[in-house]
Amino acid sequence: MFIEICDIKKAFGEGESRVEVLKGISFELEKGEFCVLLGPSGSGKSTLLNIIGGIDRADSGHISIGGEKTADMNEKALTRYRRKHLGYIFQMYNLIPNLNIKENIEVGAYLSDNPLDVDDILKTLGLYEHRHKLPNQLSGGQQQRTAIGRAIVKNPDILLCDEPTGALDYNTSKEILRLIETVNQKYGSTVIMVTHNDAIKNMADRVVKLRDGVIRKNTLNEHKQSADELDW
Amino acid sequence: MRDPLNRRILREIKGEAGKYAVIFIFMVALIGIASGYFIADESLKVAYDNSFADYNIEDGNLEFAEKPDSSVLKACEDEGITLYENTYKDAPCDDDSTVRLFTDRKEVNRVSRLDGELPAAEDEIALDRLYMKSNDLNQGDTIVLDGHGYKITGIIALPDYSALYKDISDFMFDTEKFGVGIVTESGFDRVSDSYIHWSYSWKYDDPPEEVFGSEATERGDELVKALAKKAVLANYIPTCRNSAIKFAGNDLGHDRIMMIVMLDMLIVIIAFVFAVTTSNTITKEANVIGTLRASGYTRFEMIRHYLAAPMIVLLIACIIGNVLGYTVFKDLMADMYLGSYSLVSYKTLWNPNAFIDTTVIPMIILIAINVIMLASKLSLSPLKFIRRDLKRHQRKKAFKLNTKIPIMTRYRLRVLFQNYAGYLTIIVGIFFASVIMLFSQMFSPLIDKFSEDSINSMISKNTYILKAPVPTEDEDAEKFAAGSLKIVRGDFSEDVSVYGISADSRYFHAALGSDTVEISSAYADKYGLKVGDSITLSDEYGENDYTFDISGIYEYPSSLVVFMDIGFFNDTFDMDEDYFSGYFSDRVLDDIDEKYVASVVTEDEVTKTSRQLRRSMGNMMIIFVILGIAVVVLVVYLLSKVMIEKNAQSISVAKILGYEPREISGIYIRTTTIVTVLSFLLCIPLESKALDWLWRAMMMEYPGWLAPDVPASAFIKTVAMGLATYFVTTFLLKRKVNKVPMDEALKKPE
Repeated sequence: MFIEICDIKKAFGEGESRVEVLKGISFELEKGEFCVLLGPSGSGKSTLLNIIGGIDRADSGHISIGGEKTADMNEKALTRYRRKHLGYIFQMYNLIPNLNIKENIEVGAYLSDNPLDVDDILKTLGLYEHRHKLPNQLSGGQQQRTAIGRAIVKNPDILLCDEPTGALDYNTSKEILRLIETVNQKYGSTVIMVTHNDAIKNMADRVVKLRDGVIRKNTLNEHKQSADELDW
Repeated sequence: MRDPLNRRILREIKGEAGKYAVIFIFMVALIGIASGYFIADESLKVAYDNSFADYNIEDGNLEFAEKPDSSVLKACEDEGITLYENTYKDAPCDDDSTVRLFTDRKEVNRVSRLDGELPAAEDEIALDRLYMKSNDLNQGDTIVLDGHGYKITGIIALPDYSALYKDISDFMFDTEKFGVGIVTESGFDRVSDSYIHWSYSWKYDDPPEEVFGSEATERGDELVKALAKKAVLANYIPTCRNSAIKFAGNDLGHDRIMMIVMLDMLIVIIAFVFAVTTSNTITKEANVIGTLRASGYTRFEMIRHYLAAPMIVLLIACIIGNVLGYTVFKDLMADMYLGSYSLVSYKTLWNPNAFIDTTVIPMIILIAINVIMLASKLSLSPLKFIRRDLKRHQRKKAFKLNTKIPIMTRYRLRVLFQNYAGYLTIIVGIFFASVIMLFSQMFSPLIDKFSEDSINSMISKNTYILKAPVPTEDEDAEKFAAGSLKIVRGDFSEDVSVYGISADSRYFHAALGSDTVEISSAYADKYGLKVGDSITLSDEYGENDYTFDISGIYEYPSSLVVFMDIGFFNDTFDMDEDYFSGYFSDRVLDDIDEKYVASVVTEDEVTKTSRQLRRSMGNMMIIFVILGIAVVVLVVYLLSKVMIEKNAQSISVAKILGYEPREISGIYIRTTTIVTVLSFLLCIPLESKALDWLWRAMMMEYPGWLAPDVPASAFIKTVAMGLATYFVTTFLLKRKVNKVPMDEALKKPE
C-alpha cells in the first residue's frame, strides 16, 4: 500500500471549547489512485489533507507514505518529505504575487532534482503567452492552472488538492478538473482531492465521505467518469 | 456617538506591541536627548547672559607693567571708567599646571560659589570646578602651589573665566593645565611676588548698551589706545574681545541648529517607517476598509483612524521624552558644556522653544508625511479595496528579468522591487546612521592626527615669545618677529599669527620672497586659498588693512599662520630694521631672564587643544554611537518585519511546497542583507562627502582649523558596528520568518 492512514485523531481547543475534528480516520490508497475526500463544511476533510501534507500533526494515529511514517519525522524531515513527494493545490491558488507566471512555476521546479520542462508545462496549461504576466493580471482559472503547473512541475508522487475549484465557475472548474485528471493519468501521481462538490466524486477511483470527523463511507468507484462527463 | 473604530486603536497598538515599543523607546531617547540639550543650552545661556549683571562682569581689563601709583590710576579713570584692582599671581602647581590666584572679589567679577565655602584661613582655597574635575581634585584635598599647601574648602566659578584661557592670545584653553582660585589676603601673600600681575578691571561710567555690540568694540578699542598713552601697559583687553569671557557665550546655542537638523531628519525617517508600516496595515485590511467606505465612512475618517495610533505613540513619547529631558537628560547635556566651560550656577528654565522643536514640529512632520501617504493610499474606490486591488496603475506584465538569472536570484530581485519604498527608507536610514557613527569614529583619530601634526609642524622645539628684544648667546637660537592680524568675515573674525622669518632660516624650510608671503596649509585649506591669491587682513583694531600675495603654502596644518621675510615684516608693520620679538630654538635658552619671556611654545603647549577637545567631546561621541546603532536597528528591523508580514502568505506557501527555512530566509532576509551591506559600503563615498561638508561648515564658525580627515579605520569601525548591529537584528528576523505558520496559506481571504 502506498499511503496508509491509521486511526488519525485530531482535536482543536481545550476544555469546554475543545472540538474533535477527526475521530479516528483510517483508509489506504494505492500508488496512482485518484481519491476524493467528500464532506460538508466542518467534516474534517481539510484537516486530514493538512495532516497528510505534513503541515499539521495528528494527536494520535499515523500516516505512512511508501513505508515512511510522517509522525516519526521532525520538522526538517517533514520539509524534505513535502519537497520530495508532494504537490499542493489550494482553493485560493496562493501564487506568489510578485513573481510572474513562469517564475511561479519555476519556484516549484527549483525543488526537484528532475523537474519537468517549465515551457512544456506552460504550453500544456495554455499559459505560455501569459508567462510574463503577474498573477493578478490573470483570471481565476488561469491562476489555478498556474498553481497546478507549480505543483506538477516537480513531478510529485502525491498531488494534494484543497477545494481546487471552490472559487471557480462551472466551465473553468471543469477545465481544472480535466487538467488534474490528465496529471493523474499522464504522470501517475496519486491525487487526493478535498471537495464538497458531490459531482466530482464520480471522477475518483476512491471516494471517502466524511462527516463530523468520521468516515461515513469509503467506496471504490465502479463507474468512473471523465472530467468532461461531470455535471452539476 | 463616538466613532466605534476608536476602540480598536489601543488594540492595534497592543497587537503591534513590538513595533510600537521599538519606535517608542527610540523616540523617548531621541526627544529626551534633544529636549535635554535645548533646555540645558538655554538655561546655561540665560545664566551666562545674566551673569554680566548678577556678577558685575568687567567691561575690560588692563595689566600694568609695574605696580601703578594713584596718579596713574586717576589718569586712567579720567577716560570715563572706574578701575577695580584685580591683581593676581600665576602660582605654579606641583603637576606643571598653573593656578591663577585672586583674593575675593567684592565688587566686579564676583565669585559664583558652587559648593563649599570660600577660604577663611591663609592655607585655604576655593578652586575652579573644571580645573578640579580635570585634575581629579575634591573638596578637602590639599593642593600645593608655589610650595605652599592649600586645603580646598569650596568649588567656584569666576564669571570672567568661563573659558579658562590662561592667555588672551591662546588658541585654546586647557582646563588640566590652567585654573583659577580664590585665597585670602594672607594666602595670596604666601605665593612669591615674582608671579604677580598688576591687573585691573574697568567698568565704564556710561556703559555701552550691549556688551558685545559694535559700540562696545569701538569704545573698547578707543579706550585702550588712550590708556596706552597714559601708562606702560603689559596687557589690555576689552571684554568684547576677551575670549575667557565671550567664548563660552558664543558656543552656547552654537550647535542648536545642528541638533534641530539631526532631530528633524530622524523624525522624517521615523515618519517614513510609520508610513510604510501603516501602508502595510492598510493592504492587510483592504477588504475591511472597502466595506467601511462602502457603508459610508468618509476618507477623512479613515485617515484619522489610521493616523491615530502613530500619533498617540509619538505624543506619549514626546511627553515622556520632555519629562526626561527636564530631569535626566538635561544634566547629561549640561555636563557636556560644564565639561568645557567653567560656568556660573544656573537654574533649569521652562523652554517653550524646546517644546516646539521636540514635540510640535515632530508631530507636524509625522502628520504631514503620513497624511500624504494615507490620502494617496485611501483615495481608491471602495470597490477596489473590497477586491484588494490596491494598485493605482496596474502593470500589464511584470518587468522582464533575464531568464538566465537563477530563479532564486530573480525571486530576490522581485522582492527587492516589490519593497522598494521600504528599502529606500533603509538606505536613507543607514546613510544617516553611518554619518552619525562616522562622526563619532573620526573624532578620536582626528584629534590624534591634529596632535601629531601640531608636534610635527612645530618650527622649533621651543618658541620664545619675548616681552622685549633681549639677546642670547645660544647659537641654536634664531630671531623672528611675530604679530597677530585678523581675518574679518561678516560678524565673524579670527586671529592669524604673522611670523617674520630670518633669511636663510635653519628652522623654516622654504625660501620666502621679499614682498610676498607663504601661508600655513591650515589657512589655505580653511579658506580655499592657493598660490597666486591675495589675502587681506586687518590689525587688532581694524584701523589698517594689509594685503599680501601668496607665493607658497607651507605645510603647517595646526593653525592659521602667515610667514614672511623678517625684513618685509618690519617694513610692513613700521618696525625698526633689526626688530625681532622672539627666538626659535631646539634647545632651552638658559641665558634669557624669565621676566623678558612672555611665553614659551613647547610640545605641551601645542597639544592642549587636542587634550581639551577630547575631554569636552568624549561623552558626546558615545551618544552618537548609540544613536547610530539605534537608527540601524529601528529602520532595518521594523521595515524588514513589514516585508516579512507582507509576504507571510508567500512564505507560508514556500514552506508547504517544501522550501527549507534557510532557503526562505535566503529569499527574504538575504535580500535585506544584500541591501544593508551594499548600503553600508556604497554610501561610504557619499558619507565621506557629507561629513567633509558638515565638518567644514562647522569649523568655519570656530577660530582655527581642524581639517576634516576620516581615516579608513573610522569607516571600517562604522561599517563593522553597523553590520554587527544588523546581524544581531537578523536573528530576530529569522525567528519572524520561522514563525510564519504554514496555515497562513490555507486561510481563506475574509
